[in-house]
Amino acid sequence: MNDDATLHDAKLQEVARRLGAGAAERLDVERAARAVVARLRTEPRAEIRVLGWIRPAWLRIAALFVIVVGAGVVALNVRIPRLIPPVPPATAGGELSDLSGDELREILESVGKLGGGGEQQAVSAQDVGLDELSASQLRALLESLGG
Amino acid sequence: MLNIFVTPTSTVPTRMPPAEPVAAVPTDAALIAAWHGGDEPAAAELVRRHARALARFLAGAGALEADVDDLVQETFIRAFRALRRFRGQCQFRTWLMTIGGNVLKDAHRRSRRARVVPLGDDLRDTDGDPHEQAVADEAEQRLVAGLERLPRLQREVFLLRAQQGLEYEEIAAALGTTSGAARVHYHHAVKRLKEQMK
Repeated sequence: MNDDATLHDAKLQEVARRLGAGAAERLDVERAARAVVARLRTEPRAEIRVLGWIRPAWLRIAALFVIVVGAGVVALNVRIPRLIPPVPPATAGGELSDLSGDELREILESVGKLGGGGEQQAVSAQDVGLDELSASQLRALLESLGG
Repeated sequence: MLNIFVTPTSTVPTRMPPAEPVAAVPTDAALIAAWHGGDEPAAAELVRRHARALARFLAGAGALEADVDDLVQETFIRAFRALRRFRGQCQFRTWLMTIGGNVLKDAHRRSRRARVVPLGDDLRDTDGDPHEQAVADEAEQRLVAGLERLPRLQREVFLLRAQQGLEYEEIAAALGTTSGAARVHYHHAVKRLKEQMK
């Protein structure tokens, strides 16, 4: 640090040391002491403690309320999907239940024709042994084909 | 009267007149303990002991001259209310000044008044050369204006160091920081104040 800077620092500190000296001198210390003691006497500590207790208590209640509401919202979000019955995937099961065994065989045969691809070979119910299956087995087979 | 003056032959606190030659000057800690025991004169003695230094700090930190008395009282009231939280991490006076900083901040927030108070002629110290006095007053006002532009922490560190002459360790303990950080804040404050006072 050069001399100018040191001089400047010293000047700054000198001004800082003087700062507020007038205000301090003019302060009536005895009056301040009496006033502080009087205020401490008229504002009893018990009241201060109560006020000091109430404020954190309200803060605690508010915090608890926020936590309860937050937890409720989270719980509802978790439970609502469970409460709403899941929508069954669209299956052919409902429609198939009304069909007779013969009708189911016809459908299966037509599916077999569509699934034949480029070979375009007709597959009869007898070829694949559909005649031996019961209506419920045919329904299960159709459902499995439908995915 | 303070009831904490102790005779050399007894450990029992006794009431003694202030003119008693064996009366020791009670420490701040003793006065605080006495206040905790309900001794009002102990509180009054603490005010007498630290009020002027606190007033200087508040004035330096930007308090209006007319408000200093109220701010000093409010600071002491808050300090006595919070005294059970004072663990002696720093001197009582330093701790008091940090509370004073909070009181002043609250007062500024309430009033939103800027401290633009060139001292009235009746308030100026007229001793000495009028020209020198005018120069000194101007320097003081520029410093006050510069301090107001500083961040609060820098301002308080500067005042505690340059005005109150405290060590960095003491300042750090009062402001809840490290002495290294206090030193950095001080140097930033000095740098900015020097620029503003050029």
